[in-house]
Amino acid sequence: MKTEIEKITILPGVNKFGEKEKFKKIEIKKGEIIAIVGSTGAGKSQLLYDIEKLTQGDSKSKRKILVNDKKPDKKIRFDPKKKLIASLSQSMNFLTDISVKDFLSLHLKARGKKFDSKLIKEVIDEANEITGEPILPEMNILNLSGGQSRALMISDVANVSISPVILIDEIENAGINKEKAMQILVEEGKIVLIVTHDPVLAFNTDKRVVIKNGGIIKILKTDLKEKGIGHYFNWIGNYNLEIREKIRNGEKVEKVKLFCEPIK
Amino acid sequence: MKFIIFAGTPGSGKTSVVKHVIDELKDNHKLFYAKFDCLKTEDDKFIAERYKISTVKKLAGELCPDHYTALKIPKIIEENQDKDVVILETAGLCLRCSPYIKEGLGINVLDITSGNPSRYGPILTDADVVAISKGDLISQAEREIFRANVLMVNKKATLVEVNGLTGEGATDIVEAIQSSLEIKTKKLTLKHSMPSALCGYCYGNRIIDEKEEQQRALVGKKLKNLVPGLNCGKCGFKSCNEFIRAVLDGKAKKEQCPFIKNK
Repeated sequence: MKTEIEKITILPGVNKFGEKEKFKKIEIKKGEIIAIVGSTGAGKSQLLYDIEKLTQGDSKSKRKILVNDKKPDKKIRFDPKKKLIASLSQSMNFLTDISVKDFLSLHLKARGKKFDSKLIKEVIDEANEITGEPILPEMNILNLSGGQSRALMISDVANVSISPVILIDEIENAGINKEKAMQILVEEGKIVLIVTHDPVLAFNTDKRVVIKNGGIIKILKTDLKEKGIGHYFNWIGNYNLEIREKIRNGEKVEKVKLFCEPIK
Repeated sequence: MKFIIFAGTPGSGKTSVVKHVIDELKDNHKLFYAKFDCLKTEDDKFIAERYKISTVKKLAGELCPDHYTALKIPKIIEENQDKDVVILETAGLCLRCSPYIKEGLGINVLDITSGNPSRYGPILTDADVVAISKGDLISQAEREIFRANVLMVNKKATLVEVNGLTGEGATDIVEAIQSSLEIKTKKLTLKHSMPSALCGYCYGNRIIDEKEEQQRALVGKKLKNLVPGLNCGKCGFKSCNEFIRAVLDGKAKKEQCPFIKNK
C-alpha cells in the first residue's frame, strides 16, 4: 500500500543554546521544494535527519515532525519497502561490478518490486536528459563518470524509490543539468528538501529555511527576481556542459555565447 | 544491568560508533566498557580518559578470540553489578563464531563497503541490531540494495544506519539499548556454538603435513587433559594453551607445570 503524503509539518524545537525556535510551525506541501541554508555546522543536516527519522522530540533539536497533521507510525522508518523518505546522498559512488540495467533491477527487487524493463528504460532515458554523456543499459556502473552516476541516481530516486519525500544533502552537481534534475524530481508531486548554496538549486525552490546555531531563524520566500537569477546561472551551467562536450569530442570552439537564451 | 556486545570486523567503525553511544549514555547511566582485541589496543585508555568511565582491555593473544571473550564474560558481569550498562566491544572474530549471548543485546557494526552480507556467519545472522556504517560512501540505491540483502540473512534484526564521524544513528542504538532486557540470571548462554575442531594447528603446528598435524593434535590433547586449565601462570606462561604449545615445541618441560609434577 502506498502512503500518500500531502503535507509535512515541522514543529519548533531548540537551538544549540537550548532556546526555543521562533516559529509556530513550518508546513511543506506536496510538490514544494525547500532549500535549507546556513553556514558549516549550523545544523542543516540535523534538520534533514529529523525529517528522515520523523523525530518526535527525541533528537538533539527536540523538533517534532508530523505527516498529514498526524504523528507518523514508527515502523515506516526502517523498512526500505515502506520508506516514505528517500535521501540522495552526497556520495554517488558504486561498489558492485554490474551493468546499469542489472543494477536497476536489483534496486527494484530491494524495493520489493517486480522486474520491469519499461521502467528501467525510463530511468536511463530520464538520466540521459540530465547528463551530457549518454548512459547505455549495458555499461558497467563502475565505469560511469561522475556526471553520469549523479544523473542515474537522481533519475533512480525519482522513478524507482518513489518515496514521496526526497532529501538532498549538498549534492555534488558537476556535469549535470541542475534545473532539469530538479524538474524530474518534483514531477511526480514529491516534497523535496535540499541543503544547498548553489544559486541554481537554491533559487529553484519555493522557500529557503535559514539555520543558525542549530535553530531555524527565518524562512525566506524565493521571489521572481531570484528565480530569474537562478535561471541565468543554470544557463551558464548548461553552456559549460555544452562546451565540455565539444572539448570531449575533440572539436574546436570558435565563438562564445554572451547572452542568455530564453528558457524553452 | 544491561549487557551489550558490539562486534564487527576490524575497521568497520565499531569504536567510533561506541564512542557516540557512550557519549549519549554517560550522563544518565553508570557505564563500563570492555575492549577485546587480538593483539593490541589503546581504546580502553582513550575512552576512560575522554568519557571518565571505567574500562578494561582484554587481549586474546594465542587464544581463539571468541573462546577468550566467552571465558571472560562472567567475571566482567560479576565485577560490574553496580553498573547500568556494560558495553563489550570485540574485534577478534573469524566470522565462524559470534560472541553474542542470549541474555544481552548483540550489535553488529557492518561496513557497507565490505561486500555481500551473505558471506557473514552468526556475527551478522545472530545480531539483534545491525548498525550499517559508512553508508555515506556509496549511492542511495546501493545502500538500499545492501539493506535488503542484510534483511535477507537476518530478518529479525533492527537496522540502523550509523555514521562514526558525525554520530548519526547513535540515538537509534541508544534507543535499542534502553529497550533491551536487564540480565537477571547467572546462567549465560552463547547464541551460537564455537567451532568443534581443535586440530594440530591449534596446538601450534606449523608444518603443513597431515601426519605432523595428527601427531601434534594427539600429544596436545593428552597434555590438555593433564593441565588444570586455570591459566595460573605458575609455569611461566600466560595460559595453559601457551604452555602446551611450548612443551610441544620443546621450549618447556611438562614438569614445569606444578599440577603435572605433583600428579
